[in-house]
Formats: sequence, C-alpha cells, structure tokens
Amino acid sequence: MIIVTGASKGLGRAICERLLEKKFEVLGLSRNVKEIPFSSYSCDVSSYEQIKKIVNKLKSKKKKIAGLINAAGIASMNLALTTPANISQNIINTNLLGTIYSCQLFSPLMIRNKGGSVINFSTIAVPLGLKGESIYSASKAGVENFTRSFAKEVSHFNINVNCIAPGPIKTNLLKGLTQVQIKSIISKQIIVKQFAPTDICNLVEILLDQRSNSLSGQILRVGGV
Amino acid sequence: MSENIKKEIFKKIKIASENKTLKVNENTQLIGNQAVLDSNSLVSLCVDLEDYAMKLNFEFDWSSDKAMSKSFSIFRTAKSLTKEFIKQKNKSK
Repeated sequence: MIIVTGASKGLGRAICERLLEKKFEVLGLSRNVKEIPFSSYSCDVSSYEQIKKIVNKLKSKKKKIAGLINAAGIASMNLALTTPANISQNIINTNLLGTIYSCQLFSPLMIRNKGGSVINFSTIAVPLGLKGESIYSASKAGVENFTRSFAKEVSHFNINVNCIAPGPIKTNLLKGLTQVQIKSIISKQIIVKQFAPTDICNLVEILLDQRSNSLSGQILRVGGV
Repeated sequence: MSENIKKEIFKKIKIASENKTLKVNENTQLIGNQAVLDSNSLVSLCVDLEDYAMKLNFEFDWSSDKAMSKSFSIFRTAKSLTKEFIKQKNKSK
C-alpha cells in the first residue's frame, strides 16, 4: 500500500490517480475526503494524534506499507512582514511538521515491511529565495534538510527518503501568483518550461520503483535550478 | 504473567542487540555509555515491542516525552523498560 497525504486535490490527487492507474493499492489522506473516489481517511497531517490513529488502524489491519508520499501542503504568497501569525503557524504546521509527523509515524510500518520509499515535497522557492514566499520557502527548506537527515536515520531499515522540488506546476497552490511571476520563476530553471502534474507523477513512479533504490536523501529539482 | 512478559522482553533485547552471547538481566543498560543497543537496534526493539503489545491487546507508546527523557527514559535498563511496558499494559485495562 502507498499512503498519499494531500490526496484530495493538486499534486497529491494527481499522484493518487496515477498510482491507481498503475494498479498500486493507494490510501489517500486529506482533511476533506468527501470527494475522493478511492480509499481514503480524513486526516489533518499537522495533528500527530490524527496520524497516530490512522497508523493504529493500519497496524490492526496488518497493512503492508511500501511507500509514503507527503504531498499535503499549503502556501500563502505574502511578505513575511504582512503575514498574520496564525497563517505562518499553519504553513509551518502543515508543510514541515506534517511531513515530520507522517515520516515518524508511518516509517515503523515500513520497517515491519523490511523497507519502503518516502517522498517529500519541497519547492523551487527554496533555492531561488523568492520574494513573497519567505515563510512558505522556510517551511520547505525545513522539509529538505529533514529529508537529508531522516534518510540517514532510516537507511539501515532499507527505507529511502527523497524529496521532489517542483517549480510552478499548474495546481491551486499557484493561485496567488500572476502569469508574469510564474514566467519569471520558470525563466530561472535550467529547463525553461512549465512542467505539469504528470511530470511529477513520473518522478514519483521512478522513486517508488526498486530500480531507484540507490537514491536517498536527494532533493530532485524539477526543471533544474 | 508479568514474569512471562519480562522473559519475552529480555529475549527481544537480546535479539535486537544481535549479540548471541549477551546475557540480559534487569541492570542491562539499553542506552548510555554501557548500552547494549545502538540507535538502530533500539528502534527495531521498539517496533518489536509494539507488535508484542498488539498481541497482548494494548498499545505500547515508546515515543512519549517520558520515554525519551534523558533522566527518566524508559530505555535506561531492561528493568525500566519492562516496568513501563507492564505499566502501560495494566493502564489499558
């Protein structure tokens, strides 16, 4: 079974659909699961307790977890100086702590399964230090460094941990950016083009494949930076 | 029952240590200078104890603040771990 957080929309949803198409058993996690047409549980990843309850359910069902994809994420494009404290907290709680909690709690299920693949998500905003994304990119910079260290902590258990860092992909997360801003960001990539959710799904498939088991602790920058 | 649990936990500590000659007793240190387990084997032991607890119909919580506290860690010795395991089992009743 592959667990995907942020499964109701955006990249998480696209990843779930691709994996289902490829006949993987998928469990989607999202705060809102009403419109998810596949196996899912309601879960706010910023809640350690909510994730723990799901882990216990999976343990009691003796589910074998082969992959964890931490796609849940929120963004708020704003200057740090004009961002309310509760928005900053939400961003850090969901993007950074959500990723950490999921990794902490789901990894023991992979240890039982003698290995697995964890895929976290960052952003091009980290290496570019984009104006108006300081809090968002701070949360994702945390995800990148967590990925590197956590990969070392679980490599003994045959668990690979990597991070995909896309540029502007057409999802709801882009709603705060203008076309000019999007073009400007894309122009800073090595491959100057806007990539699509399907390109990210391809990377996810590669990282879930046994043939990529020599990769761990890596940040894969989509389009290159 | 408690004696059986103790025996089982000591057995699991020995397996996790990967030291076939290790004789686990109550004072066997799990963490610290004289530790018989490294960080990886400690995690393996925790996962193993979680599974054992499930068989006994309770949830063993090894990631609480108390479990990981330096001064009061449940992983100080085989005895402190066994005591906490049994305590959590009794509490779940």
